[in-house]
Amino acid sequence: MSRTVVRVEAVEKVVPTAAGSLVILDGIDLEIKQGETVAIVGASGSGKTTLLGILAGLDEVSSGRVILVDEEISSLDEEARAKVRGLHVGFVFQSFQLLGSLTALENVMLPVELRGDTLAESQATELLAKVGLADRIDHYPRQLSGGEQQRVAIARAFASAPTVLFADEPTGNLDTQTGDLICDLLFDLNREFGTTLIMVTHDGRLAERCARTIAIAAGQIQA
Amino acid sequence: MSLSLILRLAWRDIRSGEMGLMLVALLVAVGTVTSISLFVDRLQTALVQESSNFLAADRQISSGEKIPQAFTLAAQKRGLEVAQTLVFPSMVFAGDTNQLVSVKAVDQGYPLRGNLIVGDVPFARGAPTDKVPEPGTVWLDSRLFPAMNVKSGDLIEVGLAELKVARVLVAEPDRGGSFFDLGPRLLMNLVDVPATEVVQPGSRLSYRLLLAGAEDNLEGLKEQLDLAPNYNWVSIRESSPRIGRALDRAESFLLLGGLLGVLLAGVAVGLSAHRYAQRHFDHVGVLKTLGATPKQILYGFLSLLLLVGSVAIVLGLGAGALLHVIIIELLGNLISVELPSPTARPFLLGATTGLICAIAFAMPAFIHLKDISPMRVIRRDLGQSPASRWISYGAGIAGSLVLLVWYTNDLFLTFWTLAGIAGVSLVFGVLANLLLRSGRVVGMQAKSGWRLALAGLQRRRSENTAQILIFGLAIMLLLVLVLIRTALITEWRSQIPENAANHFVMNIAADEVDGVRQLVEKRATQGDFLYPMIRGRVIGVNDISAKLWQDGLQRERGGSRLTSERNLTWIVDPPESNAIVEGQWWAEGTVAPQVSLEADYAKSWGISLGDDLQFDIGGQQIMAKVTSIRTLEWESMSPNFFIIFSPGALKDFPATYMTSFFLQRSDKRFLNELLTAYPTITVIEIDALIAQIQEIVAQVSQAVELVLGLVLISGCLVLVASIQASKDSRMSEHALIRALGGSRKLIGSSLAAEFLLLGAFAGIVAVFGAELTVGILQSQVFNLSASLHPWIWLLGPVAGALIIATVGLLGSRSLVDTPPMMVLRGLN
Ligand SMILES: Nc1ncnc2c1ncn2[C@@H]1O[C@H](COP(=O)(O)OP(=O)(O)O)[C@@H](O)[C@H]1O
Ligand SMILES: [Mg+2]
Repeated sequence: MSRTVVRVEAVEKVVPTAAGSLVILDGIDLEIKQGETVAIVGASGSGKTTLLGILAGLDEVSSGRVILVDEEISSLDEEARAKVRGLHVGFVFQSFQLLGSLTALENVMLPVELRGDTLAESQATELLAKVGLADRIDHYPRQLSGGEQQRVAIARAFASAPTVLFADEPTGNLDTQTGDLICDLLFDLNREFGTTLIMVTHDGRLAERCARTIAIAAGQIQA
Repeated sequence: MSLSLILRLAWRDIRSGEMGLMLVALLVAVGTVTSISLFVDRLQTALVQESSNFLAADRQISSGEKIPQAFTLAAQKRGLEVAQTLVFPSMVFAGDTNQLVSVKAVDQGYPLRGNLIVGDVPFARGAPTDKVPEPGTVWLDSRLFPAMNVKSGDLIEVGLAELKVARVLVAEPDRGGSFFDLGPRLLMNLVDVPATEVVQPGSRLSYRLLLAGAEDNLEGLKEQLDLAPNYNWVSIRESSPRIGRALDRAESFLLLGGLLGVLLAGVAVGLSAHRYAQRHFDHVGVLKTLGATPKQILYGFLSLLLLVGSVAIVLGLGAGALLHVIIIELLGNLISVELPSPTARPFLLGATTGLICAIAFAMPAFIHLKDISPMRVIRRDLGQSPASRWISYGAGIAGSLVLLVWYTNDLFLTFWTLAGIAGVSLVFGVLANLLLRSGRVVGMQAKSGWRLALAGLQRRRSENTAQILIFGLAIMLLLVLVLIRTALITEWRSQIPENAANHFVMNIAADEVDGVRQLVEKRATQGDFLYPMIRGRVIGVNDISAKLWQDGLQRERGGSRLTSERNLTWIVDPPESNAIVEGQWWAEGTVAPQVSLEADYAKSWGISLGDDLQFDIGGQQIMAKVTSIRTLEWESMSPNFFIIFSPGALKDFPATYMTSFFLQRSDKRFLNELLTAYPTITVIEIDALIAQIQEIVAQVSQAVELVLGLVLISGCLVLVASIQASKDSRMSEHALIRALGGSRKLIGSSLAAEFLLLGAFAGIVAVFGAELTVGILQSQVFNLSASLHPWIWLLGPVAGALIIATVGLLGSRSLVDTPPMMVLRGLN
């Protein structure tokens, strides 16, 4: 039996609003094993993004416990959570989120550099070649199309060899064809690196490719 | 983050212009301070030197008694230069003529500051010399040549000594002061004085020890000697209070100007740093999702700030020095004084200013970056918590405080400037908010461009209130500076108007008056008033003999006596430069004899209002009651009298008359003509003195203009920074409007309308603030009378609207031209 990389116990997320407090997540329990591919689905506004943020240690819980790769991140401060993210987590976002002032290659090398290591340039180039951008390594994000930017983002996500890869609607900003291409890349690399993939999506076909689907409605997991 | 990564990010930011405005703002702050203080530093030294000419030294010790040798030795021990002078009145004989002159005997060192100007022909221009009369020779004022009918090489008798007339004395640096009591000058060597045997105990002598050297040595000497009351320590401020005052005010102004320049640049730094930080929120969010810890973010961005700050400081110091050299070059032919070489202080000041600006104005924005939530990456609406804004305002205010106190060394000025700005911000924040609200009512029926603009202004009301305040503050500070500068320069110029009388004629006999007047009117501009002058002396006070009265005071008076013969006059109306401080000026048609005394004169002889004075005038005696006490501007270039009589009292005494006129330098030979025609009259030339004062005023005015110019640059920078800072939120809005089908023209006109309104509002705020601040500064700091300036009431809002619309539209041209898609995709 493979080990648990994500464990969530009775997580609640409540935010104060002008009209009183708003419960976004309402008692979430969840366990995800090493190597799983999980799709989180649900209507818009159901709390998917909030849950993803909490799983990845980007956001804090109101109550409950979150354990990510043996670290109880719900009791860590931002400084320590950042270290955990740097070591174990990769991200792919709906809006790509490349740094505009760095080239494609530099963007890919960034996470490892932040960790204090250096990624051999050849390795980064190789990753970019894997996503089909071997000839675009010195281009800046603004010189790339949306699909190409997302491919750079995928290369960047795998550059630090993460344990868990989080993706928030990775194809949401792309046309169907490009979306499929991105999807293929994501699953291919995932298989190659043995990464756990946790993805929020609207896209039914994308969800089908995941081994497991978690449906959320009104901040609760549907049976 | 690793250094190489930081360097790379910094370089990219600089190259893409992200860091540009902040770099420029820091650079301007450093450059402004460096160049202003370089210039002020050097100009001040030069001005102090120039004004030292009025003393012929940096300081003097004056006394009616011989200056002890110990003083000289103590001064020399401190490395000070010393020289001695002795002034006394004496009768001089040449052939069968005689003349009362003011003898000045000097040693080799005289003058320590400034130059003697000598020539060989009377009433001609002379040339500077570094010599003094050789032993056995004398130099004479031009007017003594016709008066005594002597020429160069003739012998004259001073006391028992026979001395040879060598040259014409055209000007001496320390001639100013109360020139009406002086006779024409005779300059001789100090070694000849014993032979004259005129220096007897009890003669009217004025000894002076001239001192020059480093400021701390001079002050040290003053402390060490701890002078007894019969020795006077004289500095430029005491001896020429008017010049001292002009210098004080100029110093305050330059200080104020530099201070405002720094504040404005600081605001620009703060604004651009905030924009930079704001544009990096996403950037930081991404870095954080990639595992960058808050600490790494903090150190990374602080190193980046340090890097940019250092670059700005180095460039700013260079720019400041360059600017200073250019200014000196431009003013080269205007500034005749040799500027001393600069000290390190301005550079230190510039560098520290840059550092403090970076820390107080830019750093808070950078520190916030560490608190950006990584969730921002998936949820865009996460902004900055309002609490952190107060932290950055607090830091900005604290930084300003440190900067100002340190820069001006003046808590009063700093406190009131800051309090003024804070008060004005508070009041006008509310006012600006109200103005923005009122826009809605008017805006309802407006054309579409205006409606769009008003809607935009309303929607971002707090943002726009801040912007109006910043624009308003910048415009206000500039207005304050312009108004103060104008007031100062007008005041300086009015003290010595162009074509002010620069020659005085005394001893005009009653039957010569018409002749002199005709001659003067033909060749020069005539002064408007002929004062009657009658020689007379006080012989009694309240029926006590003047001698007894004087002895009763037991006061050392350095040779001057109550019973000395003085110039008396009578006039109907009080002279313009006089102010009555006690009693009342006489009514027209007063018959009983009354006198008006100068305040210091009255005080030093213990005479008060209501006392009866007995005078001896040409052997006749007359009693008069003291009915008023006056103060007077000793240095106003008009005749001053200690004792003035009411018209009835002296009418029947034989009088001579005095008048004044303006004479061009090139017409000086007229004096020869005048004196040849009327050999008994006395001409006093003060044109050299006036020229000297005008020179100083001109230089100070230039310095003031320069500071104004530099501060203007800072002000413009604030405008640009502020417009840049608001560009992003405007950008997304206008892109949306364009995407929805708005034409470029609509966007352009709505932007123009928005900026016009912002500018006009800012102008209104600025006018209020400026009037308030100028009023306080004029009355509290510059001792000028406060007044309103109606001409700025319209100019402020109109100029504000035009300037901000121009800068704003230029600054957001890209906003109109960018295709909407680019903006929506968030690529820039
Ligand atoms: N910080 C917050 N403050 C207020 N409401 C929030 C906040 N974060 C999320 N929400 C609300 O919580 C709900 C769930 O949000 P989200 O997780 O983004 O939903 P999903 O990703 O499933 O569309 C939404 O209604 C959203 O408006
Ligand atoms: Mg979502």
